[in-house]
Amino acid sequence: MFILDQITAFFQQFLVLVSNPLNILAVFGAVILGIIFGATPGLTATLGVALLTTLTYGMATNTAMVILLAVYVGAVYGGSYTSILVNIPGTAAAAATALDGYPLACQGKAGKALGLTTTASAIGTFIGMLFVVTLLPVISALALQFTSFEFFLLALYGIVISGTLTSRDLVYKGWIAGALGLFLSVIGRDRLQFYPRFTFGYSELDGGLDIVPVLIGAFGIPQIIQVLKDKVCIKKTEKLQKILPEFREIVRHFSDIVRSALIGVGIGAVPGIGEDIAGWVSYGAAKNASKHPEKFGTGEVKAVISTETANNACIGGAMIPLLSLGIPGSPPAAMLLGALLLHGVQPGPMLMSDHPKFVLEVAAILLLSSFAMWVVGMLLAKQVVKVLRIPPAIFMPFIAVLCVLGSYALGLRIFNLYLMVPVGIIAYFLVEMGYPIAPLVIAVILGPMADENLRRALMVSKGSLLPVFTRPVALALFLAIVLTVLSQTRPFKKVVTEIRKKLFSRKQVA
Amino acid sequence: MMDKQKLRRADFVTSIILVLFGIWILHESFQMPMRDSFGGVQNVWYVSPALFPLIIGSLTILLGAALLIHSIISGGAKYFLQILRKKPQEPSEATMRFIVICMAILFFVYLHIPRIDFFLSVSLFLIFLISIFYLDDKALFQKLALFYFLGNMILLVLFAAGADRILGRVWRFCTDCAALIFWLTYIIYAGKRISGDVRGKRMFRTALLVSLIVPVILCPVFRYLLLVPLPTEGIVVELMNWIRYSLG
Repeated sequence: MFILDQITAFFQQFLVLVSNPLNILAVFGAVILGIIFGATPGLTATLGVALLTTLTYGMATNTAMVILLAVYVGAVYGGSYTSILVNIPGTAAAAATALDGYPLACQGKAGKALGLTTTASAIGTFIGMLFVVTLLPVISALALQFTSFEFFLLALYGIVISGTLTSRDLVYKGWIAGALGLFLSVIGRDRLQFYPRFTFGYSELDGGLDIVPVLIGAFGIPQIIQVLKDKVCIKKTEKLQKILPEFREIVRHFSDIVRSALIGVGIGAVPGIGEDIAGWVSYGAAKNASKHPEKFGTGEVKAVISTETANNACIGGAMIPLLSLGIPGSPPAAMLLGALLLHGVQPGPMLMSDHPKFVLEVAAILLLSSFAMWVVGMLLAKQVVKVLRIPPAIFMPFIAVLCVLGSYALGLRIFNLYLMVPVGIIAYFLVEMGYPIAPLVIAVILGPMADENLRRALMVSKGSLLPVFTRPVALALFLAIVLTVLSQTRPFKKVVTEIRKKLFSRKQVA
Repeated sequence: MMDKQKLRRADFVTSIILVLFGIWILHESFQMPMRDSFGGVQNVWYVSPALFPLIIGSLTILLGAALLIHSIISGGAKYFLQILRKKPQEPSEATMRFIVICMAILFFVYLHIPRIDFFLSVSLFLIFLISIFYLDDKALFQKLALFYFLGNMILLVLFAAGADRILGRVWRFCTDCAALIFWLTYIIYAGKRISGDVRGKRMFRTALLVSLIVPVILCPVFRYLLLVPLPTEGIVVELMNWIRYSLG
C-alpha cells in the first residue's frame, strides 16, 4: 500500500511539474548544457552542478533543483559522446563506455552506439527514479550497514575489478596501474593527522592532487598524442538515419539493462561511490554474463548499453543517501547537497517532515530530465557524429586546449596544468606498454577513501582485522576481492576448467 | 600498443623501475611517524600516516617482481640485451611527431600560459600544431618545428634573464607584444614556405582561421559566461574586458 500511495503522489507531483512551461524549458535547456559539460573533456558533472549552483542561487528552490538535476543527468549521459567518438571520456563515468564505444565508432557504427547509449541512459535514469520513489527507506537502511571496513574493502574492490577488467596484456598490469594511482592519491597531507606525505616541501601539493587534472592528463593527453603521432583517422560514420535504435534491439538487451540499472542504483546508494564505479562494475557483470566475453573491448553493444544504463541509474541511487541521510552518494551529489543547503533545504531524516513533497519532486524532475535527455540526445546525436568529419589534425589541438582549460577551471590553479602534463606523458608511455589507465584514475579517486577508512576501522578495532571476517558485508567484499585476484591465476583457472569439464561430461552422461 | 617482443622488453625495464620505485616508497614511508608523537598525537602503527604508503610500496614491489619474472621467462631480458648491442638508429617519423607534440604542449603549459595573454597563447599553440600536422609535409614539418623551437627558446632566454619583468615596468604588455611578434613571424615564415602550393595555402588558411576562432569563442565563454578568470589576462583579454564592460 505504501508503494502505491507513493506512486500516486509521485504522478500528482509530476503533473504539477509539467504544467509549468517554464519548468519544461528549464529542463531542456539544462540538459543541453549538461550534455555539453559532459561531452567536453575536463568539464565534469560535478563542475557543471558547481558552476550552476552559483548561477541558480537567486532562483526559487524548485526551479534551481530542476536546473541542477537536469544538468547532472545531461552531464553523466554527455560523457559518452566523446568516449564513443574520440576515445576520450568526457567524464570518469563514461570511461568504461569508451572501451567498446570507440571500437564501434571505428567500425562506422557511431550513430548506432550513440542511439543505444541515449536510450539506455534514459532507461537507467528512469529506473533510478523508480527506486527513489519506492525503495528509498529500504536502501537507506542497507547503506547504513556500511562501516569503515566495508568502505575500505569497497574502494579496494573497485580498484581490483577495474584493473582486472581493463588489462589487455597481463592482468597484473591493471593492478600495477591501480598501485600507481594509489600512490598519487596519498600525495599531500593525510586526512587524520595532517602529516605531509610525498610533498617534497611544495605547499601546492599539501592539499593532494586534484582529480580533474589527473583524469584529463591520464585520458586526454595520451589520446591527443596517439592520434596526432600515428595519424589515426576515425572512420566516418555511415547510416546516420539509424540513430533511433530498433525496439527489438532494446528488448534483446532488456536483461542487461535491468541488471545494469540495479547495479547502478545499488552502487549509487552507497555513499561516496559514484557513476564511474557503477559503470565499471556493470561492465564486469555484463562481461561475466556474456556468452562471448572475448568480444568485449572490440565493439560490443552489450558493454556500451550496460555501462551507460548503470551510470545513469546511479543518479537515482545517489539521491537516496543524499535525501534520506544527508550523505552524498556521488561527487556531483555532494555539490547538490551544497546547493540544497544554500536554498535552506536540510537533507536528512527530517526532510520528509520539513518538506514532505521534496523527495517526490526530485523523482519527478528525474523522470522529466530522462525524457528531455532522450529527446535532446536523439536530436543532437546526428549533429555530434558530424564531429568525425573534422580532420583529427584540427580537432585534436582544439581538444588539447579544452583539456588545459578544463584542468585549470575547477581549482583556478596553474599548478594543475603543471601536474596534468607529466601525468599525461607518463600515461601515454603506460598505454603504449599495455597498462590500462582507468584503474590508475579510479585509484586516485578511491585512494583517500581507502586510506582513511582502513585507519579509522583499525582504530575502532584497536588494530584487529577480525571484523573483516565477522561482518557479513565486509566478508562478502573480502571474498569478492580474493576471488577476483585468484581467478586470474593459472591453478585457479585450471581447477575451474576441470570442474566445468566434469559437470559437462556428467550432463552428457545423464 | 607495442608488439609482443617490444612489450616484454619494455616490461623488463619497467619492472626494475617499479621495484626501485616501491623500495623508494617504503624508504620514504619509514621516515613518517610510526610510534612517536606527531602534533601532540601519540601514534600507534595502525593509525600512522605511513600505514597506507607502506601497503602501496609493498604492493608495487610485489607486482613489479611478478612482472620482472614474467618478462625474464618470456625473453624480455634477452631482447633488452640485444637492443643494447645494436647501433643507435635515427629517430623514426613517429618518434619525431611525438617529440614535436610534447614540445608544443610543454611550451604551451610551462612557458606561454603563466606569462603570455591566454588568447595569444592558445592561438600560437593552435596555429603551430594544426599547421604542422594538417599540412602533413615532411620537409615543411622539420622547418616549422625548428622555427617554433627557436622562437620559443628566444622567449625562454628572455624570461629566464628577467627581461619580461624589466620591460614590464615600462609597459605591462611587453611580453604579449613579444608573443604577438612571434605569432606574426611564424605565420609569415610558414606562409612563405607554402607560397607555391595551392592546396597547402588553403589548408594553412584553415589552420589560421581555427587558431583565431577557437580563442575568440572560448575566452568570452569561460571569462563572462562561466565566470572563470583566465590564467593570464594580457593585451587581448584586457581589450575584450574593456569592450565587454563598455557595453554594460
